[in-house]
Amino acid sequence: MKEKTQVADINRSLYDFRYDEDESSFLNSGITPEIIREISAEKGDPEWMTEFRLHSLEIFGRMKMPEWGPSIEGLDLDNIVAYIRPKKRMQTDWSDVPDDVRETFEKLGIPQAERESLAGVGAQYDSELVYHNVRKEVAESGVVYTDLESAMHDDRYAEIIRSHFMKLVPPTDHKFAALHGAVWSGGSFVYVPKGVKLEIPLQSYFRLNARGAGQFEHTLIIVEDDAYLHFIEGCSAPKYYEASLHAGCVELYVGNNSTLRYSTIENWSKNMYNLNTKRAAVGENAKVEWVSGSFGSHISYLYPMSILNGRGARAEFTGITFAGEGQNLDTGAKIVHNAPDTSSYMNTRSISKSGGISTFRSSVVINGNAVGSKSAVSCESLMLDSKSRSDTIPTMVVKTDKADVGHEARIGRISDEAVFYLMSRGLDENSAKALIVSGFAENVSKELPLEYAVEMNNLINIEMKGSIG
Amino acid sequence: MAKLNILPVPTFARLGVNYAERDITAFGRKDIAVPDGAEQHIIQNISSDSETNVAVGSGAKLKLVQVFDGRTRCAAILRTVLADNAEFELIQLYLGGDTVSEAVTELNGYKAAFTADIGYNIGNGGGLDLNIVSVHHGRRSTSDITAGGVLRENAVKTFKGTIDFKTGAAGAVGNEKEDVILMSGDVCNKTVPVILCAEEDVVGNHGATIGRIDESHIFYMKSRGIPEEKIYELITRSKLARVIGKIGDEQEEKRICSALGWGDELE
Repeated sequence: MKEKTQVADINRSLYDFRYDEDESSFLNSGITPEIIREISAEKGDPEWMTEFRLHSLEIFGRMKMPEWGPSIEGLDLDNIVAYIRPKKRMQTDWSDVPDDVRETFEKLGIPQAERESLAGVGAQYDSELVYHNVRKEVAESGVVYTDLESAMHDDRYAEIIRSHFMKLVPPTDHKFAALHGAVWSGGSFVYVPKGVKLEIPLQSYFRLNARGAGQFEHTLIIVEDDAYLHFIEGCSAPKYYEASLHAGCVELYVGNNSTLRYSTIENWSKNMYNLNTKRAAVGENAKVEWVSGSFGSHISYLYPMSILNGRGARAEFTGITFAGEGQNLDTGAKIVHNAPDTSSYMNTRSISKSGGISTFRSSVVINGNAVGSKSAVSCESLMLDSKSRSDTIPTMVVKTDKADVGHEARIGRISDEAVFYLMSRGLDENSAKALIVSGFAENVSKELPLEYAVEMNNLINIEMKGSIG
Repeated sequence: MAKLNILPVPTFARLGVNYAERDITAFGRKDIAVPDGAEQHIIQNISSDSETNVAVGSGAKLKLVQVFDGRTRCAAILRTVLADNAEFELIQLYLGGDTVSEAVTELNGYKAAFTADIGYNIGNGGGLDLNIVSVHHGRRSTSDITAGGVLRENAVKTFKGTIDFKTGAAGAVGNEKEDVILMSGDVCNKTVPVILCAEEDVVGNHGATIGRIDESHIFYMKSRGIPEEKIYELITRSKLARVIGKIGDEQEEKRICSALGWGDELE
């Protein structure tokens, strides 16, 4: 008898553990001017930041919810705790981090990864960074990797922060960018000086442990001219029945002739509303490479955006989305060509299973000044049952005749022709189908750094026991 | 203002593709019913706001040609329902003007088939907002949408093509493709090829190419003594001739060629 192939849901047990929280460390839930002032006072913000937060709150109050994408009606912002006081200030030695927090990150493998393959690590637990460290030789090269709050209070970086913070993603961008501007806390600041090429990656890991809370970290990365950086971001949370909210913000400035690779494996729990905003400004002959894996969350809105401002600037986006039971993941990318001879390439895969909804949504805009620009988009979707749903909604806007734009997409199940071809080469049917399914995801996983490719293999447990369909 | 050409699922509002707006007082209405097993070939010249409702019966065939003459500003709505084994071939030609046009085809029947061939030539001050939606309910239903054309001067064009596979449309296949040639730095082209899928056993493909004429082609033709102006004219003609040649009515083909200043011959 034929057995149906089982493509397992993501195994979340590795991430689904929690420690009790001291609720006296929680600020009141809700988003009000009083809460904002309290957060600002807790963090010792400079005056301009307090004003920025309050101004963002005003914008948040008058902006409408997004009118497209999955429903976020289940998210009650009045019940979200925007800030949780840390038990201890940020440390640079894991032995000084509170035991439960340290154990959390040890279970996630962060200290081990730091020892083996990273140039520096930042670890955020709820609202604040609890650990930040960078290798001595990396610091000596002039690379700055610290938490955003410390940098904001350091005379050497304060003006840089002020002149770049939420300039790429202004609070007016959308309602949750405004919310982020009002309540942001934690996140990393990275500065790579001119000519420095960092061969090994930096990594920040964001863990939201508290029930019914929000995490609003801000990552600001400035890569000067002729430099190279690979930055890795990871995130997870234990599962609760109450909704949680992640509304982080990432702003990347890539200098002329530089390359910034930004890799993310997002594995939030299935009660999370992940409404994150990521954006890069790319200079002359510079390149931004996004590698993105979206596996967790109940609802996701995630579209990293690249603005190609310099002649010859390039953007690449490689992404995979796996939507299982109870998940509605709306992911993709946006690219704006804003200078001559720019180029972009998007390559995505999505898998829907057990009632999961996966939507690929993208936009490529080629402005009138972007003469000689080229863009190609390729997206493929695999439906593993008819309870699920997979949508593809790309948009291309071209405002010059001197550009070339191509788009191709495919949706469906495993092709009989491909199975037949492989069987004609000597594979049995089961092995042929197994090869096709694993190959579908591997196209993206090969772009991940090794340690994350291993994590992805742990995340997706593909069992091939018969025919799909 | 009425909202027309609504994208079946909205996307980023700033792109301006979710709907078109027109101030319309009334639509001229036409109903077409093709009985079971019958075959019809209908040509419509559309120059004012119009709504056409079509029903194609079991095993019936309809070829509907819609020519938008390009001298006016108009909105057109076409709604079609296909029964088992019904075949619907839609030919649309947009010869300028400022048009909002929507065609929604419900493939309700088993093996219902829909093909659309669309050609456009939009020039100075012209606009075209197209919304072609193919909704697959029937098992083994097929749709094939091909659009292509030329944008000149300051033309503005939006092509929204949606293939919507509903649960139960097992074995359905949908393809859509657009190929746009841009001939001026002042044009604005928007392409939104959407696939919505709630059924596992389907195949959907879409592709789009948007850009200028290949420089190597221009070089080759120039090397054969063809002036650049003539090259652009030939490219435009080839894009439209592909669609005109499918009209299947010699008189109408001659009329269109004549209106385009090509004499009365397609070749």
